[in-house]
Amino acid sequence: MITLVVRRKISAAPERLFDAWTRPEELQKWWGPRGVICVAAQVDLRVGGLYRIANQFPDGKVIWITGEFEIIERPSRLAYTWKLESQAGPVERVMVTFKGSGTNTEVVVRHERIAEVLVRERHEQGWRARLSGLAAYAETGL
Amino acid sequence: MSSTARRRKLPEDRLDALFHALSDRTRRALVTRLVQGPAMITELAKPFAMSLPAVSRHIRVLEDSGLVAREVDGRVHRCSLNAAPLESIQDWLRHYRHFWQHNLEALARHVEKP
Repeated sequence: MITLVVRRKISAAPERLFDAWTRPEELQKWWGPRGVICVAAQVDLRVGGLYRIANQFPDGKVIWITGEFEIIERPSRLAYTWKLESQAGPVERVMVTFKGSGTNTEVVVRHERIAEVLVRERHEQGWRARLSGLAAYAETGL
Repeated sequence: MSSTARRRKLPEDRLDALFHALSDRTRRALVTRLVQGPAMITELAKPFAMSLPAVSRHIRVLEDSGLVAREVDGRVHRCSLNAAPLESIQDWLRHYRHFWQHNLEALARHVEKP
């Protein structure tokens, strides 16, 4: 099992970033690497609640990611399971922490229970791009 | 119920991967080192007179068996030991030992017959 850690410093308050991560209308504005648009998001923000995020790729194909919330501690910590809705595949887990003061936050993503190196590489690219998108969204206030 | 019975028995292909992982002395030495605590791959490779890619290949085999977990943070790869599979090997040995002890007792009774 592989755990992937991806970090990024963002010039925004932890509360702002936590909310951007958990509110469907905000998620759609920054989620997804270049070329991927988040066309829908559903979030039931409570322990045991589910989320669904739709990723639309340049060819029009939509893939849903889904999971269940395990930890919700605004603004510092969030943990949830992660799997592709269409596959009876492995269930991974994501823990995000927002550590900072004022408008300087270090966002640390731990993506756990990854089975293969190739999947880890894909997630690494995905998270770097997403955190980049989050930074652009939160720092410019768009 | 004993804790042994509660623990789920590993399927045969997992046992294959486990024994394959431990069949090599370099990999056994890596496991011994990781018992002391997690370490970066570069650190793990130091005592061995072999290239870093060669050590990495051994670690991949250990990972595939479930004995080692890897955390990747940027370019730093940190490995840690997952003890659970070792308990499964102990279960397997324990079953065999009961069989062996039973046969030893039967042998003893046989040779001690007047």
